[in-house]
Amino acid sequence: MNWQQDRSGESPRMDAELEQALKHFKASMDAWSDSAYSRPRTAAKLAVRHSWRMVAAWALGCLLAAGSLAGAGHEIYHRQQLAKIAAQKAAEQRAAAGRAIAQPASVQPISAQSDKKTPAATTRKVSAAQDSVSSQDEDLLASVDSDVSREVPAAMEPLAQLMDDNGTQ
Amino acid sequence: MRRRGASTKVMAAGTAVEPMTSATAQEIAAQEFARIVETHRPQIFRFLLSSLRDVDLAETLTQECFLKAHRNWSHFRGDSSAMTWLMRIAINLQKDYWRNRRIQFWRQTRTNAVDLDEASEWLPNGERNAEQQMLAREQVAQVWQAVKGLSERQRTVFLLRYVEERELSEIASATGLSEGTVKAHLSRALGRVRTELRGTR
Repeated sequence: MNWQQDRSGESPRMDAELEQALKHFKASMDAWSDSAYSRPRTAAKLAVRHSWRMVAAWALGCLLAAGSLAGAGHEIYHRQQLAKIAAQKAAEQRAAAGRAIAQPASVQPISAQSDKKTPAATTRKVSAAQDSVSSQDEDLLASVDSDVSREVPAAMEPLAQLMDDNGTQ
Repeated sequence: MRRRGASTKVMAAGTAVEPMTSATAQEIAAQEFARIVETHRPQIFRFLLSSLRDVDLAETLTQECFLKAHRNWSHFRGDSSAMTWLMRIAINLQKDYWRNRRIQFWRQTRTNAVDLDEASEWLPNGERNAEQQMLAREQVAQVWQAVKGLSERQRTVFLLRYVEERELSEIASATGLSEGTVKAHLSRALGRVRTELRGTR
């Protein structure tokens, strides 16, 4: 044993004990190493466990990827639908506005066709119709304003009277 | 140990008889390496097992050690013995392992390292009686306890000396230390073992 070359002035009894302890330590290490070295290997089992983990990880990854793709697809489809609806509404609004403008001109289509007047006369008629429509709107608004102004709430009655008094004075 | 010095077979008189083909040289090198693996693998495994106290890890690092040796076999010039060269690779692998574990301290690494009591259970079946067996087991446990308290370098030197029974010059060559430093590490390690033995007496 090499310990004899490395000792540093210990008592003979201690040296003997140290030598014995080191000898037992080496014997123990040899026995453990031989046993572990010649034991059956479990590489196949480990590989199987490892492959299961790999499969599970791949499955989870695929699931996540598919889920995110489906979500993205659904979102795109939803936005397209919204855009379609918005475009349809806009088109309807445009069509309604067009109809509203064209309606006065088509009030007397037969007479207009039968008379076969010039385009300038037709334009005049259209503008006259538009003027009459706008004057009707103004009348309607004025009547609404007067109705609303007449219906003063009870709480505002003193103020309304005061205003009337001031107006008369 | 000198190898691959010449690519021709040389007779005793020094006359080249036939040129060695590259395939033949490779075959001879492979056979030589296989023989070295067969001879030294148990020793490298034992050293790594005693250092790490983990059978699976010791096997893995032993495999890595011989894989590295195989890759660098062409660079081995035989300045030291093959065992010393292999031991140096094993020591470096072990150092890398400890360094990586220190760096990755936040990772919950699973370790199979056995505790000291379990490591002390291993004893050869001799003709000793139960009392002697128990005494021997106790002494082994005390040495393990002392080894546990050693620094990484002291432990390596101690195990190379008292488990692998390497010469001081071989230990110095394998660890890259001077012989004086190796002696100092051994002295401290033995002092700790003595203290442990004295303390529990």
